[in-house]
Amino acid sequence: MHVHNYEKLWLLASLALIVGFISTIVYGAVGAGVVMVNDEGGQVNASGLSEHPEFNDPGVRKVGPNEYEAYVVAQQFAFSPDPIEVPANSTVTFYVTSRDVVHGFEVAGTNANAMVVPGEVSKMTVEFNETDEYGVVCNEYCGQAHHDMAGEVIVKEPGNFTLDDAGESTTAQATNGTDETANGTGES
Amino acid sequence: MSTPTESILNIGRTDDETALPAESFIVKYPTVARVVRVCFAYAFVALAVGGLFGVIQALHRTNVIRVIDSADYYTLLTAHGVFLAIVFTIFFLAGVFAWANTRSLERPPLNPRFTWLWVGTMSAGTLLSGGSILAGLVAEIDVSADVLFTFYAPLQAHPLFYIGLALFVVGTWLAGIDWFRQYLDWRADNPDERIPLQSFMVLTTMLMWYLSTLGVAIEVVVFLIPWSLGLMPAPTPLLTRTLFWFFGHPVVYFWLMPAYLMWYTVLPKLSGGRLFSDPLARVVFVLFLLLSTPVGIHHQYLDPGIAEGFKFIAMTNTMFLLLPSLLTAFTVVASVEHGARQNGGEGYFGWLTALPWRDPAFTGMMLAGLMFAAGGFSGMVNAGMNINYLVHNTIWVPGHFHLTVGTAVALTFMAAAYWLVPRVTGRALYSRPIGLFQVVLWFIGMTFMSAAMHRGGLAGIPRRTAEPEYSKFTFEAVVGTISSLRLQIAFGGVLLFVSLVIFLANIALTAANNEPATGLKTDLPPALSGPEQSPQVLDELKLWAIIAIVLVILAYSLPLWSIINGAGFYQDGITASPQVVQPVLEVLI
Amino acid sequence: MVEAEAGSETPADVQAPDAYADGTLVRDPEVENPLGQEDFDPKGTLALLLVYFIILTLMWTFMYYVEFLGNGPTVIG
Repeated sequence: MHVHNYEKLWLLASLALIVGFISTIVYGAVGAGVVMVNDEGGQVNASGLSEHPEFNDPGVRKVGPNEYEAYVVAQQFAFSPDPIEVPANSTVTFYVTSRDVVHGFEVAGTNANAMVVPGEVSKMTVEFNETDEYGVVCNEYCGQAHHDMAGEVIVKEPGNFTLDDAGESTTAQATNGTDETANGTGES
Repeated sequence: MSTPTESILNIGRTDDETALPAESFIVKYPTVARVVRVCFAYAFVALAVGGLFGVIQALHRTNVIRVIDSADYYTLLTAHGVFLAIVFTIFFLAGVFAWANTRSLERPPLNPRFTWLWVGTMSAGTLLSGGSILAGLVAEIDVSADVLFTFYAPLQAHPLFYIGLALFVVGTWLAGIDWFRQYLDWRADNPDERIPLQSFMVLTTMLMWYLSTLGVAIEVVVFLIPWSLGLMPAPTPLLTRTLFWFFGHPVVYFWLMPAYLMWYTVLPKLSGGRLFSDPLARVVFVLFLLLSTPVGIHHQYLDPGIAEGFKFIAMTNTMFLLLPSLLTAFTVVASVEHGARQNGGEGYFGWLTALPWRDPAFTGMMLAGLMFAAGGFSGMVNAGMNINYLVHNTIWVPGHFHLTVGTAVALTFMAAAYWLVPRVTGRALYSRPIGLFQVVLWFIGMTFMSAAMHRGGLAGIPRRTAEPEYSKFTFEAVVGTISSLRLQIAFGGVLLFVSLVIFLANIALTAANNEPATGLKTDLPPALSGPEQSPQVLDELKLWAIIAIVLVILAYSLPLWSIINGAGFYQDGITASPQVVQPVLEVLI
Repeated sequence: MVEAEAGSETPADVQAPDAYADGTLVRDPEVENPLGQEDFDPKGTLALLLVYFIILTLMWTFMYYVEFLGNGPTVIG
């Protein structure tokens, strides 16, 4: 087959580019430790979340020194809990699922971003090193008021951050408040 | 079709022998020319409606001018996606392929009735689906399909939307059969010839299409139609998503292939040169047939329920899918350079001035190619698995595909129309200078809109939303302000709409032009390096089809099995939203 | 037309007087020195694409290492 030498050169350059891209991505996974959302979260019954041992009470739990788990339910058109409060210098694993349709869970301005598919649990572990406030955006169309669906992640000073004995509610009032809101929307 | 067209045809035959020469396409294949005209008419009507909705959205979500409710935004967004990315692109493709297959095989389709059957089936599908989307704007009609282009269950549309989609896809399948029959007829007469290049492109593209539409056909026919009619429970959302993206990535190559066909076979001629390499053109189309489908999971990098290993495989396949496009860049640019050198072009870059930049067809396709180079880059970022976290479902993504389907494809189609419409109507283009202004305006408008969308995406602004901001927090741009990005999106969107109106007017005036087209005698020049310099195996379509099927089975069988194993076909606890029909099963029980 | 696509006949066969007379070409259709396959080295194409290659490499590096890895928090498990 006749191929001009310049085109052979370009073919090699193209292959080098492709291999370079793949190598960078492998570095991101192995070197920088970026993990993709995957199948570890398992499945749940989307309309049976109130019977689920964790999603029945969305919120943040402490599971180890500086280690937390955040169970988040997305539904038309809110996240619960909202806000999600965690301490700085912590490792937080989010478990996000949907009560109804497909949503998105994007901590705006960060690389914490996942699809939320009913029946599936999106599991993401993230380190929060500094106090900050982030917006959480539903970035997948989920119905007529999709644009109203947003929440917050508040990373607090470890000194100002408390969980009660059950390890359930963060700064108690805020979480109780959002739980009621969430239940209200769920039933309407 | 119409009396004016007949009079143009008669000019060719009687008064002025040179007006429409006997070897011109419209005189040799009047029926096919009519089919192409009808396909283009559908394409341009869809372009007009989809484009109008586009500018309304650009102004709405940037909060510049608001003429609709935010709740209706999603109806317009659904229509914008379906009318432009399905109806406009695929009807235009059908017109181009009908022209190219007939032209290169030198024979019309075997049975004109069969040809009209696929045109009719695609039309019926369009009217049903399009109608059910637009009905969402009319409160009195109890039909809606506000499910966007991706129609992820359990968002539910009216059954007519899904039925229309299925009909439309069946129409494209019939069109493919028509083109294959045309080819087999040619093959019977030419047992030892290489497949003519344009026909080769049509056939490989259609093979890719048959394979990839299996995903959406199963999704719609097996799951969504019975569910929307209330006959079956809601399907597993992750399963239907995966079936959608089985089709959803190859469809972008289905849009792109007619543009590539024009770049490979017409653009060299417009530049005054010849195709640099016919063998590599064939290699490129074979690679697209093989690699377009086993990559769809790269749209699901951030999905739960799919193991990282499957995502990695999709990523490597996707990266190798860059190869045919990078090769295309070389072959097409070298073909244009061949024209420029013969025009007296000199130097490493000086040859670029020796090109017919006043020709809207040439300039439009070149600008489309340039934008595709930029869109290629943002596509590489999208494809980069873990870097996808940065941009997934942000406005970066529509920024990307407005460069690819919105410019590489759409601007090439508009440029191609300036060249092709005279060939299928027999009428001279109304105005070349206006055409030139129009394609340049599109390029400028898209530069503003797309660059701002990319930057907005990096700031985390989501796609598919009616509102520019949230009450709880604000976005922060790296460079410049968010409000200036919004203004650039709105400004670019307005320029694009103006460009679109000018295009449609120019084409409408061409269709009504009583001046006969000139230069119709010409044929496309042969390649510098012809097909005889490529191995015969490239023309073994059966072999490539089988390899393509094997690759798809390798890429998809395990992910699909693991989804079905985990969640089943019908997952418990999934309910439709909004619910258009009461599930029959629930009613009975 | 099949022949037109099927082979690399001499350029003279191709350049019929009408070949580019549809107004899409600015120069004289009669090419005086048609460039054949052997005489044409697309050095301009190679130059353009090498520029593209450099842009791609630089932008990819910037996007990956600055925009992406600098955009934490990032998913690490």
